[in-house]
Amino acid sequence: MPGPVTAWGPSIPRWFTWLLRLLFLLVAFLISVVTFFFRRLPVSHRSLPPSSSIRERSLGQSRQEPFPAMAYLSMGEAHRRITDYLSRFCDAVSSQDAATLSALLAISSNFASLQAPADALNVFQDSNQLVNQVERYAQFAEILSPLLRCLQSYRLGRYSDAYVAFEKAANAFLQEFRNWETAWAMEAVYILALEIRLLAEKADRELSSSGKNTEKLQGAGSFLMKIFGALAGKGPKRVGALYVACQLFKVYFKLGTVHLCRSVIRSIETARLFDLDEFPVKDKVTYMYYTGRLEVYNENFTVADQKLTYALMHCSPNKEANKRMILKYLIPVKLSIGILPKQWLLEKYNLMEYNEVVKALKTGDLRLLRRALREHEDRFLRSGVYLVLEKLELQVYQRLMKKIYVLQKQKDPSKAHQLKIETAVKALNWLGMDMDMDEAECIMAILIFKNLTKGYISHKNKVVVLSKQDPFPKLNGKPVSS
Amino acid sequence: MDRETNRPKKLGFRPSKAPNPSPSSSSPVRLRPREEAKRDSTSSIHERRNPVLDEDEETGSPIFSYLVGTCPDMCPAKERQQRERLRDLSVFERLHGDPSRTSPKLAVKKFCRTMSNAELQEVEIRPLPVLRSTLKYLMNLVDTSDQPFEVVHDFVFDRTRSIRQDLTRQNILDDEAICMYEEMVKFHIESHKKLAMCYTKTDLASLCYLNTEQLMKCLATLFKLYDIHRRSSSLHKNEAEFYSFYVLLHLGGKIPQMGSSLSLWYRKLTLSILQSNEMRFSMTLIRYSRLGNFKRFFTRLEAEASDLQLCLVEPFLSEIRARAISYVNHSGYKLQPYPLKHLSDVLRIKESELEELCHVCGLETTMDEAGMKTLPVKQTSFSLPKLGLPVHSLSTF
Repeated sequence: MPGPVTAWGPSIPRWFTWLLRLLFLLVAFLISVVTFFFRRLPVSHRSLPPSSSIRERSLGQSRQEPFPAMAYLSMGEAHRRITDYLSRFCDAVSSQDAATLSALLAISSNFASLQAPADALNVFQDSNQLVNQVERYAQFAEILSPLLRCLQSYRLGRYSDAYVAFEKAANAFLQEFRNWETAWAMEAVYILALEIRLLAEKADRELSSSGKNTEKLQGAGSFLMKIFGALAGKGPKRVGALYVACQLFKVYFKLGTVHLCRSVIRSIETARLFDLDEFPVKDKVTYMYYTGRLEVYNENFTVADQKLTYALMHCSPNKEANKRMILKYLIPVKLSIGILPKQWLLEKYNLMEYNEVVKALKTGDLRLLRRALREHEDRFLRSGVYLVLEKLELQVYQRLMKKIYVLQKQKDPSKAHQLKIETAVKALNWLGMDMDMDEAECIMAILIFKNLTKGYISHKNKVVVLSKQDPFPKLNGKPVSS
Repeated sequence: MDRETNRPKKLGFRPSKAPNPSPSSSSPVRLRPREEAKRDSTSSIHERRNPVLDEDEETGSPIFSYLVGTCPDMCPAKERQQRERLRDLSVFERLHGDPSRTSPKLAVKKFCRTMSNAELQEVEIRPLPVLRSTLKYLMNLVDTSDQPFEVVHDFVFDRTRSIRQDLTRQNILDDEAICMYEEMVKFHIESHKKLAMCYTKTDLASLCYLNTEQLMKCLATLFKLYDIHRRSSSLHKNEAEFYSFYVLLHLGGKIPQMGSSLSLWYRKLTLSILQSNEMRFSMTLIRYSRLGNFKRFFTRLEAEASDLQLCLVEPFLSEIRARAISYVNHSGYKLQPYPLKHLSDVLRIKESELEELCHVCGLETTMDEAGMKTLPVKQTSFSLPKLGLPVHSLSTF
């Protein structure tokens, strides 16, 4: 049956239709080949200011670009990607879709999904105009323009610039957030808090490697306080305050300005705005971890025990690394109140640096304690528990005296409660500690004063008379009295 | 944050120069014509942020570029004239005792808080050589003056603060600055001891506190200078000793808090400092003090302390000795009073001074049959007096 072509005009020979089809295919093929090569052409051949983009690219490469070489994009594609990003942002805001919004703001934590628009920004240099021209985007211009700048800088590995731009965008976003009545965008605010810290850390690393002053993290701290201020108060936005507080703690600990945590803690705990139960457990664990650590540094062992134990109990079971971090501080606290961890715990969480300390406490071997402190001195000093562990010496002395007492009791129960100072000196000398009568008497005096030993010292007779009942009371979960 | 948008006026901009309609006005209005010439050579320094200044409250606001002082005397002429007029001259600055006349050789620039640096002029800042000689003059004054020590201390305290202010304004961060800061720390440590010796005067307690506060500020800045020095070379020769001073300060119970505990401070130190002899010594002393091992504390202190370390620690010894007395009082045998002679040996104190210390803490002392002084134990009246304890130095045997 003749095809549609032949139905219209004079009959066309069959070979002609085949030729037409062939020609058509050839042209299509040629077009695809041309566009294929077209895409492959370097960006500079496009109608853009060539120098800047080449310079940027080569700079980026010499800076050991962390990301693969930029894709070669057409202007049209770049434009499309940017408008796609902008639309998604505006759609998310208008439909109150916090999840999408967060993904768009997660510059460093989720960069893989943002790489496409980031690449586009380095091709299409005029994004500012784009934002301002379209009504829909222009209303968020204060947020979107710096945000795009941030993406662009981040892609080029210029973290300092990225941070500065992000801070601007974040400030503007916070303003908007303040105006929204509900807390629908809380997830986005969390991302904001996280990102400002991560970007600041990256920026400071970049600054310090080029010999400049590192100040971005401090700025991040100030901004976090602003967010905190926006969340503190009555209303549904309160629920995010603990997360932001934890970000602040991380910043202050990193900067070494730990004393600034005090005002944050005061706002959370003493101001009657917050009820700790209303926060998500995950945030509470982090909060208790940091505040517990602070209590360890201030040697408030009872409170530190409560907080760190809470953190450990409520820590998600699969977060082994977090548990280890908590235990690193909880173990010295427990030791200070007379509770010793089991060997398997130290092994399971790879905290074997405490192993000898525990052994020394069990056996009263002072030499072992001192050796353990020397061996892991650097690690203990860095984590800040060194002074806490030093104080355990008194408990080790107590253990040793108790051993002597027990041995004496076995030999001659009637005279056991009289501990000659000379005997203590001999025992310590045998352990390799250089000690004389005066020092031994001094140690006994302090043991009695701190209620680790019950009895009295007869200086004239050089003997310690121990109480007949329970002369070496256990700590039983209370710290040594000060 | 705000600094990005709040571009400061370049320092030293004098509106009085504006009426000159010469071509020099074609240069940016913000810059002073004179400063432009200097900018090329020192622009890199001018644009860098000063790490030392950020936390120095003395200058009030952070500085964005630095002056180079030109004042030739210890005190700028303008201030000299002003203070002569107001009769605001310290007893050391008066010419022939006249409270309204002074001379360039006697007047020293006072410390004053300025809110912004826009008002400062270069002729009011003293350059490094002048600062060096000023400091030398002041230290000499401490040694040679026959005025009562509190008066000398008050004068030198204020004037050294002004020296430090000038140093930070000119961003002088090199070895010279380190030397000068070390001198000032030494002054504060020696004052710390001398002031503590006169404990009975109540107003001296606040003077002591303020002195310790300045000492800690000096140390904090000095540590930052050491950090900068360490980037280009190894440890400074005195670095370990000066770090040990900070640790030893924690032996005293009533020092002004620097914000964070000792545990946190240790975290920031480099290994080379932590392993130095001076740091080991001071950390061990702290350990003995916290554990209550007063026997070792005093033997170690006597054996290893340098002069300055001893100077720093001596005002704290009374509290440590008082604690030792309370341990002995608590743990002794009721029927056997404790011989003071033995205790004074262990605590490295004269027997008479120990007796005085016991009395100040509310404890009685008695004499036994052999005429030896003793401390009856298990007394319940022990208490640390609010006004402070008498300071007795370390008696060596």
